[in-house]
Amino acid sequence: MKKLLLAALLLPVAGQDIYDLLLKNGHVIDPKNKRNERMDIAIHRGRVAKVGRGIPASHGRRVVDLSDYMVTPGLIDLHGHYGASGVNPEHNSLRAGVTTVVDAGSASASTFEAFKSKVIAHSKTRVLAFLNSEPDRDAALQVAAKYPEIIVGLWGTGGGKLPAMGDSAAGLRPGDLLTNSYGRKAPALAEARSKGILIDSGELWFRIGSPAVKQGMLPDTISTGMTPESLLLPRAMMTNVMSKFLAMGMTPEQILERVTVAPAKAIRRTDIGSIEEGGVADLAVLELRTGSFALLDAGHAKMTAGKEFRAVLTIRNGAVVWDSEGLSLTDWRNAGPYSNYK
Amino acid sequence: MKRLILAVTALGIAWCQPRYDLVIKKGHVLDPGSGIDGVMDIAVANGKIARVAANIPAAEAKKTIDAEGLYVTPGLIDLHAHVFGYSGSLRPDDSALPAGTTTIVDAGGAGWRTFDEMLETVIKPAKTRVLSLINIVGHGMVGSAFEDNTADMEPEKTAAKIIERRSYIVGIKTAHFGGAGWTAIDRAIAAGNQAKVPVMVDDKILTLSGRTSKEKLLSRLRPGDMHTHVFNDRQLEVVDRFSGKVQPYMLEARARGVLFDLGHGGGSFLWPVASKATAQGFYPDTISTDLHSSSIMMAESDMPNCISKMLNLGMPLKDAILRSTASPAKAIGMYPEIGSLGEGRVADIAIFRLKKGVFAFKDAWGHKNLMPQKLECVLTVRAGAEVFDLEGRGYPEWDKAGKYEVIP
Repeated sequence: MKKLLLAALLLPVAGQDIYDLLLKNGHVIDPKNKRNERMDIAIHRGRVAKVGRGIPASHGRRVVDLSDYMVTPGLIDLHGHYGASGVNPEHNSLRAGVTTVVDAGSASASTFEAFKSKVIAHSKTRVLAFLNSEPDRDAALQVAAKYPEIIVGLWGTGGGKLPAMGDSAAGLRPGDLLTNSYGRKAPALAEARSKGILIDSGELWFRIGSPAVKQGMLPDTISTGMTPESLLLPRAMMTNVMSKFLAMGMTPEQILERVTVAPAKAIRRTDIGSIEEGGVADLAVLELRTGSFALLDAGHAKMTAGKEFRAVLTIRNGAVVWDSEGLSLTDWRNAGPYSNYK
Repeated sequence: MKRLILAVTALGIAWCQPRYDLVIKKGHVLDPGSGIDGVMDIAVANGKIARVAANIPAAEAKKTIDAEGLYVTPGLIDLHAHVFGYSGSLRPDDSALPAGTTTIVDAGGAGWRTFDEMLETVIKPAKTRVLSLINIVGHGMVGSAFEDNTADMEPEKTAAKIIERRSYIVGIKTAHFGGAGWTAIDRAIAAGNQAKVPVMVDDKILTLSGRTSKEKLLSRLRPGDMHTHVFNDRQLEVVDRFSGKVQPYMLEARARGVLFDLGHGGGSFLWPVASKATAQGFYPDTISTDLHSSSIMMAESDMPNCISKMLNLGMPLKDAILRSTASPAKAIGMYPEIGSLGEGRVADIAIFRLKKGVFAFKDAWGHKNLMPQKLECVLTVRAGAEVFDLEGRGYPEWDKAGKYEVIP
């Protein structure tokens, strides 16, 4: 009932279908809702107001034609490092279509408040956290219980009612996440999967990931494992990581599922990872480019690929925060006389 | 006998030991400060530039990188960016190195009270070389409550900190002063006179400020001082609003040695202003980003983006690289220690591709301009080490890279 009321408040009332932003003709891929076709998406006051065909262009205050692109839920990156010695969660994520990131253990029970005020509060990207179970698991569980909107699990093991993420399978339970699954530690993936442990990508070496993917050991969720190091040489931004799994043989649909609904489900969040009328307008507009691209892994080796994902536009909370092609922008010559410029 | 063979073998290995760590082959080397403009190889040894010449044999290098069809330049120097103090500060490495920028000058984040914190938390941990234009405000760039407070603008204490940390602090910044009169600029210049360093000015001419572009440029700033945000006409009336002509005092100021810095940022690169000024041949002396958390997003105004905008507005590539390497280095008195590919210099190198096509460039007010050229950073070397390699040029294909335990 409460949800219905909220939806009624946020949606334009009948006969007043006026939208802040109208995305026309994009190829919508929304794995949770099994959408995989050309559709329009109307956005109003930060929410998705309508998803459908033939929404009149005249109803949008701003209309963006996305005929050449895919439109997906804002991507979710389950594994990155955004603490004081980590990386910036905004430009390294939003520029790759990622609207939600999950910090992997930078903050512990005693440092979470500082992490919240210094990183989370300043970020346009939605920043969630696996709180570090070290040095005090009980304290971590208490802090987690206090911030259920932000803390989605524990880093390490033993998340109680919440999932845990770790880079060793020892101590992980069914529904917990093993990460850096294709990295230099090369954990036993078949064994972990047989126990119901979810396989998250994180650190990636082609020499480990490529044979694994060929043998059907696909990740359950695809994440970047972003650190200051991996961001530079392997260029571990989300679209780059997705391109790597594409080059190793996965299909675009398989990949998109594992960066939207699958990670949302793994951290038990139903409010993100799909496109819902009345839901928050976090969206990614992606392009699958054809050409010759060299992708670099954490093991300092490369894979040459014929296709590459690229994020051309990102919407967070209904606002365009990234627009590499200027699709939503006006040419300056048409921006009015100089005195009205701003 | 066995020993002899061993000794001979060891000698042989020493003899064949390549003398360079890295050779970048066949790139078009553009080092305008040194007057180099042509296809050449660059050899690096022990983190320094060892040789710049045609046809350095690959056999003399442990590793070669093919740069055919690409431009090779000194690592770029971003004279105006934000990595400390300011609320929109970025971290230096992930914003600079993928852009080919190897030196960042933080413009006013720290004041004399906070510089040592910046030194420990930002400058020392960074791979990027981080320098500082210290704020005349003792607390640094931490909001108008501090930045408007003239009592915290102390030339003696600022100059003392500069002299104490002279290898990191290369000048003074005054910015965001919301009060009337010349106090902020005058105190910054007083500190500059004491410490013998230049001043960079960010200064809005508000209706009641009592300041004018003309007096600021012709009577207050010294030769060698820099006015940033050159294409923001709330800071400098570059062109006359009615006639559209470049103001005579801009040319006069340039003639007396005042430098004009781009400082793109979130409000200071505007198509109507930049187009009018550059059409009359008025370009910035130094190209800088004023990069911070918002301008790195919609405007994408990193160094290659700012350079691309200048190219598309008619600045030749050689000039644009000059104004991103040797010119900023000279402005802070550090040329040719940085900004040059001279032999013996620290090996800070950037490799770029000049792409042709249709590209949307966005100004600080969110309006676009479709333009045909775009400079893209392909590879960055900092102090001899590869720190960014978009296409894995320095690395082998994965299925020929050997056992996975071994990082080649």
